[in-house]
Amino acid sequence: MTGREPDIGSLETEMNRGFLHILVLALLEKDMYGYSMVKHIEGLGYRVEENTLYPLLRRLEKNGWIASKWDLTEDRPRKFYAVTPEGRSLRASLLGIWKNQNRILDEIRKENANAQ
Amino acid sequence: MPNKLEAYLEEISHFLSGRAEREEILSEIRSHILEKAAAEHGGTGDAAIDKAIVAYGAPRRVAERYAEDRPIIAPAYKRYLFRYTTFLFAIHAALTVLAVFLKKELVFFPLLYIPRVGVFDALMYLPAAFLADLGLVTLVLYFITQSGKDVRLPWPRFGVDIDEVKPPAKSFWASRVATAVGAVIMLAVTDFALYLFARHHTIFFVNLDWSDPRPLFTPGAGRRLSIIVIAMFAVSTMALLIKLFTRSRWADVASNAVSLGLLGFLMSTPFDGLFAVRIAEDVLPKIKYAAKFTLLFMALMTAIELVKSLVLIGRRRLAKT
Repeated sequence: MTGREPDIGSLETEMNRGFLHILVLALLEKDMYGYSMVKHIEGLGYRVEENTLYPLLRRLEKNGWIASKWDLTEDRPRKFYAVTPEGRSLRASLLGIWKNQNRILDEIRKENANAQ
Repeated sequence: MPNKLEAYLEEISHFLSGRAEREEILSEIRSHILEKAAAEHGGTGDAAIDKAIVAYGAPRRVAERYAEDRPIIAPAYKRYLFRYTTFLFAIHAALTVLAVFLKKELVFFPLLYIPRVGVFDALMYLPAAFLADLGLVTLVLYFITQSGKDVRLPWPRFGVDIDEVKPPAKSFWASRVATAVGAVIMLAVTDFALYLFARHHTIFFVNLDWSDPRPLFTPGAGRRLSIIVIAMFAVSTMALLIKLFTRSRWADVASNAVSLGLLGFLMSTPFDGLFAVRIAEDVLPKIKYAAKFTLLFMALMTAIELVKSLVLIGRRRLAKT
């Protein structure tokens, strides 16, 4: 052991990529605009960079998993996003994968605990 | 609308140029920054906008987040870049040598045009030819990558495969000792040549009788050729001395590039009136031909070494990305 904290920055970014997809698809069950999503996620104890969120929203929209519309009724124009039926179906698949991964890790953890 | 925000968006727009949805992206960012400035920094004044902009990130980084993860050349094709360039350049170099010997231009319309060139011109032409070959291969691989198709490209094999050239298995000290011995020998040769030149103004002689040496070349030509050859010795010595301290291939590149230039000067020396001794008329053209061929061969080998070093440097850089 070197006693030095491992640098998990890039690994965390990789892990976050998949998680952010599920998070956004789950969050957009009700209509939200970008800034409100950032604040909501912060309130849950997680942080998403603003300049990461918008390109992700754009990619999700391009694939038809979310839809957007501008609201021009307020002082400032806001772009609202909402999940589409295709997005819901994708979210269910991604959650299935995530749950399976969690189950596998849990089982391995139990195996390791029993072996000790 | 605050000018700072517009300037920031303008800069992002510059890095996004070419994207169809640019205006939409900028509107999203504008909306977010105004929202954040108002909610977190007490309004949409310059100071508040400034803080929101800093939090959003540098324009280039912001624009890069929108880039699709499609590289210019797919990783699987990276190794083809230098393989194909080497192959193409070998053909190009061989045809250039042929054009020099035949003293005529070679045209393979529309693929290749080699102008009628002299030896010195050919040496100047080859680096440009290499860059053209590299550009052509890059362009082909770029189009294949952008097509998104899995194209299976042929993989030509050579006698010596640059990919499979392993670093010498010698230990650190064994390789250093060999380099040091080489450097000492080259230093001695250079010093001896300098001594001869200082004493006799030439290093080329027809006899080895130092009490009455007879120079091979006329005084002017002898001086010019001697200086060039001594410079080549000095370059080799310097390269070996540098290699004692670093394994950087840039030392080889620099030494080969300078040697190539010096060989060019050697080749551009007029042949007529070169010799200070009498040589039979029928033998003279044969000597001229042999000298020209030898120098051209040396230049070609040096050019190949130069290209090989550049290819290996390029490959190492690509492997790091």
